[in-house]
Parts: sequence; structure tokens; C-alpha cells
Amino acid sequence: MTDVATHKPRSWRVMPAPSVVISIAAVLAAGLLGVVLIFAMGVSVSDALAAFIQGTVGTPYAIAASINRSIAFALVGIGFVIANRANLVNVGGEGQIAVGGIAATAVALYGHVEGLPAGLAFLIPLLAATVAGMLWGSIAAALKIKAGTNEVISTLLLSFIAVWLLYWCVQSPVLLRKPMTSSATLPESLEIPDATKLPLLTGDYSFPVHIGLPATVVIAIVAAIVLAKTVFGLRLRAVGFNPIAASRAGISYSRMVLLSLAAAGALGGLAGGFMLLGEQYVLKDGFSSGYGFDGLVAGLLARGSIVGVIAAALLFGFLRSGGINMEMVAAVPTALVMVIQGLIVVTLAGAAYFIGRRP
Amino acid sequence: MLSPPPVAAREKTGTTAEPLTEPLLALQGVTKRFGSLVALSDASLDIMPGEVHCILGENGAGKSTLCNLIFGVHVPDQGTMRFRGERYQPSGPSDALASGIAMVHQHFSLVHDMTVVDNVILGLQRGFVNTRSWAQRLDRLARDYGFALDPYAKIEDLSVGERQRVEIVKCLIREPRLFVLDEPTAVLLPDEIAALLAVCRRVADNGCAVVLVTHKLAEIKKAADRVTVLRGGQVVARSDHPAQEIDALVRAMIQGDVKSLDKSAASVLGVVEAGAAAAATTPPESPATEAVQIDGLTVIDSQGVTRLDNFTLSIGPGEIVGVAGVEGNGQSELAAVLSGMTAPSRGRIFLGDIETTQLSPKQLTAAGVGVVPEDRHAVGCIVEMSVAENMFLNRLEDFTSQGFLRHRALVAAARELMTRFDVRAAGPEVAFSALSGGNQQKAVLAREITLPKLLFLLAAQPTRGLDVGAVAAVYNHIRAACRRGAAVLLISSELDELIAVADRIVVLYRGRIMGNCAANPSERERIGAMMAGQAA
Repeated sequence: MTDVATHKPRSWRVMPAPSVVISIAAVLAAGLLGVVLIFAMGVSVSDALAAFIQGTVGTPYAIAASINRSIAFALVGIGFVIANRANLVNVGGEGQIAVGGIAATAVALYGHVEGLPAGLAFLIPLLAATVAGMLWGSIAAALKIKAGTNEVISTLLLSFIAVWLLYWCVQSPVLLRKPMTSSATLPESLEIPDATKLPLLTGDYSFPVHIGLPATVVIAIVAAIVLAKTVFGLRLRAVGFNPIAASRAGISYSRMVLLSLAAAGALGGLAGGFMLLGEQYVLKDGFSSGYGFDGLVAGLLARGSIVGVIAAALLFGFLRSGGINMEMVAAVPTALVMVIQGLIVVTLAGAAYFIGRRP
Repeated sequence: MLSPPPVAAREKTGTTAEPLTEPLLALQGVTKRFGSLVALSDASLDIMPGEVHCILGENGAGKSTLCNLIFGVHVPDQGTMRFRGERYQPSGPSDALASGIAMVHQHFSLVHDMTVVDNVILGLQRGFVNTRSWAQRLDRLARDYGFALDPYAKIEDLSVGERQRVEIVKCLIREPRLFVLDEPTAVLLPDEIAALLAVCRRVADNGCAVVLVTHKLAEIKKAADRVTVLRGGQVVARSDHPAQEIDALVRAMIQGDVKSLDKSAASVLGVVEAGAAAAATTPPESPATEAVQIDGLTVIDSQGVTRLDNFTLSIGPGEIVGVAGVEGNGQSELAAVLSGMTAPSRGRIFLGDIETTQLSPKQLTAAGVGVVPEDRHAVGCIVEMSVAENMFLNRLEDFTSQGFLRHRALVAAARELMTRFDVRAAGPEVAFSALSGGNQQKAVLAREITLPKLLFLLAAQPTRGLDVGAVAAVYNHIRAACRRGAAVLLISSELDELIAVADRIVVLYRGRIMGNCAANPSERERIGAMMAGQAA
């Protein structure tokens, strides 16, 4: 039995050089297929591509929107990679973003933070978002430690709870719904105070990239160093490869599960906070829709590499923006972008399988 | 033993099978490579009908590869195989079975919650099944070969020896012409080994050829008609009179002189009588204080089954106590509790004056408890990580500053330890999985023995799967630890090993201590009886 376990290819964990080439090839191939599909739909390919490019890099605003999107993907992806070092699969990014957004909104609106100096007005809501996500991730960890619940199931189901919690928050005037003035009052929160909005890098709304970008870069660097150079990273790896041997060597499995899932949750929560305080300003039902899963896919594709997460997050961020524009301008459904994204995943997973098999 | 074998048995001549018959199976220059590793190189071999042919060799000599080629698991890269005079090119085990070749693997493949007869029928028949007629056939077959086997017993209720009989019956019911057994005696009681060899003899006397893979010379003395010795994937010796040529066979197998062998290792191999080795270990002075005191340790599993029952033992400093017993009689539970992996249901453990019953593995390490786990791959090491990381996995704090790993210091320390313990690898930074079993075990041992103040060393099956050189090294390191004053508990299913290395032996049977006796070859039979559950 041990033989089977030890000889299983661990190709998801390493990033060998050929895989960079393969990744790029997979993206190009999937893109090409997307073009073929657009052609098959009877839409003018050049119109669609023009719309796509316009939506990704056509205007400073488009670029900024793509980057902001990528920030959320990257944070969730980094969290996925951290948990995955301990051989845990966090699929709860969606819910962690949702609780992060809820917490950020609640604190920004009702936490009396707007008058605080030195950026505390937005830092405290961000912290609240991070803590909320961390707690959400910790629930899954506690379930795994105490009851052995598989984290794939618990994080996924916790996401459903969080998404409906979000719905409840924006539907109930007792919670975060803005005061009902008429029957036409939308089920959403009030807009957060200006002081709690994240500062933009340029200070200019035509290029609205917020301070989440440098923050995410710093987080990525720190995460990469922690995973590669610290004893904590080594212990995570040990637990991921062989929890029994690790615990015999005095490494606490429970502690590693808790820390890694809490970290993944915290990054998801932070992503939710960034989205709310940096771009959306109003809490709406479904604001996290799809972000958690795109982030998860970014983490999955990166195969353990933080640099890979960043690359995948940027790719998906721009793809999504371009896709939305393509739908609006050229009447190509956004679903096509999701098809392309799915194709990239399948191609890369297939390639990984073949790389792993090569002796 | 009641009825004679079904086919008229030929008188066993005692030496060779009839030389005039054509070989049943002939291998010609067979080579098998796995990547850059040449597992078997230009091996030629004739198996005659009616003979017990032993394949002798250390671990990694190519024995299992040879079996797998014969059984169709692997395809040879070069060379030919002929079976009954015809070209034999199996593309899988089913081809081998169809040609009349059956194999008992080292690891059993039985469905635990099914009965014996159901397990036998599995893979033999499709459609409707007449269980009763199969059960009768099974019963007849077992009696023909002189052993008892209840066709309706559930596998999970059977002992290891009985399970092996089921595997054997599964093969014999197909009436094979060639019967291959891969290391069949590793898990058996002394009595069961004798019974198994008798069955092999009977099968051979019925005209079937038996290929018996082993690394134990005692078995060759008892059962083999002819022997082929493998070393490093090559056939290095053949013998038609193995009983008279044991010394030469050992030399061929280990490429060295029997006399240069560690005495204990030699006795485990069966080269010398265990007595000679026991004399080599100096008896300890009776210990003044107890280093380790185990008091009424009881483990009841989640099903309510008592796995370890009131285990009480004290070990003095510098003393080696052996735990004998057939596997699955509470040894794993004892090791798990002593290494802090599970909490006992009852009972207490003391290290000197300190109670360690509830301590975590980390605290036990700090208290001076070294553990060489039974299952090296599952518990002892992390094969995906580097040798250096594995050698200091329990002491990473020593290589930490501000949370960062002092990688260079770790590698340097590992390199030094590898030299001291003769761990052979390309370097401290290669993956642990790249090491051979013996070197892996030496590395684990190095980690556990070099704990800053080792008071208690728990070694469970420390030489399983190791070759002779590594076995000797493991014994030397255990003895050295004991000379430095550590108490040692050696759990082993190899009785010869215990007699050779331990000072005294306790016998576990169904979780209870059946008896306590000196590690003396004269006690062998008594220990064997206790292992089988007979009170001393």
C-alpha cells in the first residue's frame, strides 16, 4: 500500500521548466479554439477580437478593471497554494470573499471608522474582512481536525452558507440593507463613506487601480518566501506529503491544518474586502460570484508556484474583462470566455498528466 | 498427512530431479531495465518439472523482477522465455494463469470480509456459482496436501499463516504446472514455515515445478532441489546440491566471506546457528534502576477489541528486550502507544521517574525517546523530501533562526551524520526516495539514535527488507546505543533476530504477554509454542 502512495506522481507540486512552455501553448491553443467557436457562431471574428482587446487593454479604465479583478484572483490563488502545500484543497474562496465583503461593509458603514486618521478608516474594514475570511477558513479546519470532515466538502458547503448569508444581509433592513424608502429600494447596502474607500494609485478615476495592487505584490513575495525558506513552509510540506510521519517527528498536524486553512481564508476575506472597498463600494447580492472559483483555478494551474498564480490571475482577469466587453459590443456570450478558460484547464491538466508520466 | 497425494508420487531422491526431462520453463538471456536501472541482466534459468527450485538473493538482487517476468507482470527487454518447449510471451498475469503458471505474492490479495471459498471462486468463475461444490473441492484439495482449511471461514478471522494457505489453495485449485512463491515465509511462524515447505514438496512430487524465492538459507537446506543465486540482477551461482554448498551460496549471494559476516546477521540468515551469535552478545549486569517502566498498558480499539492487554514490562539501562510474536498480535499497538502516536486506554509509561504516558511525539523526542517505526515509509520518513530534511525532521528547531531555515547548516549536519552512519546517497539534498531501503533505514536510525540524550530506543522490525550488510549495521548501531546506556525495546517477527540481538524476550500473543524468557537458542521451541498461543 505504501508503494502505491509513494510512486504516485506529484506533478501538481513542481513547476518544471517545460511546463512554462506547455502553459503558454495551452493558452494559445485554447484561444485559437475560441476564435474558431466565434467564427462558427457566425459573428465577425475581427469585430469580436476588437471588442475583446478594447475590453482588456483598450482604455486605461479597462486595464485597471482587469488588474483589480486579477488582484482578487491572485489572493484566492495564493491562499489555495498555501493550503495545498499541506495537501489541503480549499475550494471555499467564494464564501471567504463573501464574508470578507460583508465584514468590510458592516465595519465601513457602522463601525464609526470614517473619522479615523492615517488610513485607519479603510484599514480597519480591511482587517475585519481578513479576520472574517480567516474565521470562515478556520471553521473548515476545525471540522477537519475534530471530525475528519474532508475540507473540499466543508469549504464548498461553507461557501453556499456564506453566499446565502450575503443574500440575507442585503435583503434584511435589520442587517445591511439600506433604509427602505420605497418599494423600489434595491436590496443592497448603502454606499460606504468616502473615507473608507481604498485610495487609488493614481488618484484618478479614469485608471482606478487601488492600493490592493502593491499590497498583493507584497503578500505574494512574502508567501513565496515563507513557503520556500522558512521552517513553517518545510513543516507544511512535510504534513502535506506524509501527515503520519510528520506528526511522529513532532510536527502538529492540527496546527498546520488550522494555520494553512486560516491563511487561505484570510486571503479570500481580504480579496472580498479589496473588491468592496476598492471598486464596488456597495454590497450587493452575488458580488463575489465566480471570483472564488476563478481564483481557485488560478491556484490549481500554478501547480504550487506563486509566480504561476500571479500569471494565471492576470490572464484570467484580462480574459474576463475582455469577455464582458465582447458580449456587450459584439454579442458573443461571456460563456465563451468560460469555455476558453475551461479549455486551458483541461489542456494543462492533460499536459501535467503526461509530464508526470514521463520517467 | 492423512491421505496420499492424488497423483502417484515419485520417490524423492533427495538431490536432483530427473536430469533427462526437458525444462518446464527456460529463460534465455533475459534482461529487464527500469529506466537506467538494470533489474535483471542476461539471466538464464531452467526450471524442471517436479523440482523445488529456490531463487536466492538479497533485496534488490532481481528476484521479484524475475517472478514478475514469469508471471507476465513485466515484459522482458531482451531474451526469450520458453514454457513447455514453446515460446512463452505473456502479456499479463491472465496469460500466465492460462498457461498454467500460478503465483503467491508477498502481499496477499484477499477480500477480507468474504469467506475462503468466495475468495477462491473470485476470478475463477463467471455467472452462477455453486458454492457448495467449490467448498467440497477446496476441502479435498486441502486434505490432499495435508492441511486444514475451513472453506466458510471469513478471511478477517484467519491468521496470517491461514491466509497464506488460502492464497496457495487459490493457485493449486487451478492445477498449475509451475507454482511461484515470492518470499512466502517472511510472515510465518516456525511451525507454519515447516508446513509450507512440506506443501511445496508435495506439489513438486505431483510433477509441478515450484519456484521458491527466499533469502533464508535454512529454507534452502530443508526444501530446495536446486538453487539459483542472483546478485545485482545477474545469475552468479547455481547449485544442484544446495544442502552441501551453503557456504558457497552465501558467498555468491553477498559477495563476501561468511566469516566476515556479523554473527547476528549470519544467524538471522540461517548461515550459523543462533547460539553462536547469542554467545557474542555480552549479558548485561542486572540493572540497578529501571530506565523504562511500562505498567498495565492496554489498548482497546474503536471496535471495542482489546489489542493490547495489560502489558507490563521494565527495561534497565543498557538492556535490550525483544518482543516476539506473529505480526498482528499487538506489536503495532504497543509501538504506537510507546511512540506517542495513540493514547492507551489504560496503563502508564515511565521514563526513569517521569511519567510519559500522555506526552506527544514532540515531547517524547525531547524526553529522549527514539523511535524506529515498523513502517518506514508510512511513519519513519517522508520520501518526497530530501535526505537532510528527513534526518532532522524532529529537530528542525536546531536549524532555525527567526523562523527561517538555516539550509546550509542543515545540509552540513546531514552530511556529517551520513558519513558517521554510512548512509550512501548522492548527497544530502537528493530525495529520500532515491535511497535504497537499507540506506533509508540507516538514515532513520541515525536520526533517532543521535537524539541529544537517548534514554529509550524503540525499534520495530528495524531490519525488515534490508540486505545483510545493512542488517549488520543496524544491529551495531542498536548495540552502540545500548552500550551508551539506552534501554532498547526491539519488536521483531524474526525470532532468530531476537535471539541474536536481545538480552531477553517477551512473547506477545493476542495482545498479551504469553511468557518471558532468556534470549537463548535453547528456548527457541518454547518461544515458538508461545507465539502460537500455548502457555509456557
